[in-house]
Amino acid sequence: MYPCKNAKLLLLSALVVWQVSLHAAEERVEAFASLPDWRGIWIAESGFDTGISGFPDTIGQPGAKPRQMVDPAGPWNAEGQRRLAGMYAGMASRKAAGWGFPLMMDSPAPLQFLITPEETIIINIYQEARHVYTDDRDHPPEEDRWITTWGDSVGHWEDDTLVIDTVWVRDPSRYFQASPPFSEEAHYAERLHMTAPDRIELEMTIVDPVTLSAPMVVKSAFVRTPNLDRLVHDAFENDRSELDGGTFTIAPPKQ
Amino acid sequence: MRKPFAVLLFLYSSWAAAHHSPAMFNLQQRVVLAGSVREFQWTNPHSYIQLLVKDAAGKEVEWSLEMAAPTYLANNGWRPSTLKPGQQISVTMSPLVNGSNGGLVLGVTTADGRNLGGNSQRGN
Repeated sequence: MYPCKNAKLLLLSALVVWQVSLHAAEERVEAFASLPDWRGIWIAESGFDTGISGFPDTIGQPGAKPRQMVDPAGPWNAEGQRRLAGMYAGMASRKAAGWGFPLMMDSPAPLQFLITPEETIIINIYQEARHVYTDDRDHPPEEDRWITTWGDSVGHWEDDTLVIDTVWVRDPSRYFQASPPFSEEAHYAERLHMTAPDRIELEMTIVDPVTLSAPMVVKSAFVRTPNLDRLVHDAFENDRSELDGGTFTIAPPKQ
Repeated sequence: MRKPFAVLLFLYSSWAAAHHSPAMFNLQQRVVLAGSVREFQWTNPHSYIQLLVKDAAGKEVEWSLEMAAPTYLANNGWRPSTLKPGQQISVTMSPLVNGSNGGLVLGVTTADGRNLGGNSQRGN
């Protein structure tokens, strides 16, 4: 009798496990189906005119406007102005391996949004990845404060708008020579929303008690490029930019 | 705009390439070089055209001409095979400020007068 009873119990358990997993899978499929479709390769609209030089058509022409995040007319306080002046002064003799956060969200570097119910990953051609957790978690506790170039991001969906909260970002100008010199106390709040089939609009509000006298609001938009069907990553294996005095020059080709 | 920033902002323009600033190039000057492609380097962080150009004495001199990284070129319609060794082209470029044989590529035209995308396609 016992073997028969055990077999029934085993069968019943298997049925319960199967039902639970089936339900979980259905829930996840539904969760995926509720998310917006942001497939494709996107470029910030303000960087879409980047030409074969790596710079926009307006390069060298007077009257060019500074980018929003490094505009001296922004709400910088005295410390922010001091840092910004230092950033501009040192820019010509520095080079970088990418954009870092927050500038990667307003740059010509193509990027991709990989959206799952639990996480959205924003990755660009410089292998810079932002992990935005959308599984109801919060930032780690303050004692686990971990400062990085891309910070710690959590988010949630408000209908079709991705709302991101980012903290613990290292002074961005340390990674990229033309980045805003915000402090590690800065708080970044982003709202990303698709407003047309090939357009995602971004509003980022930056609050930094160390460098800003008021919140800095940056508005940007991403445009889906029809010219790229994949992100191709590669190392900087042919870096020929070498310092010659205060600026760079082009080193001879490697033979 | 506050005065201390004015000159630097002009150099900086509204963008800077991810890798370095354009301060190494004389952006006020545009020079057209005609020559033969020795090598087209489709590489990160920059692509380069190694161009053989005859000087006033008729001697072949090699120029290193910097371009955007491959992804930016691809977004402008370029491919790794867009330029081939031996191909005759004309390059519009801003030269290096230190006077070396190098510059920033603003436009490329083939021997039959075809503009090869990007800035050149926009008429620069």
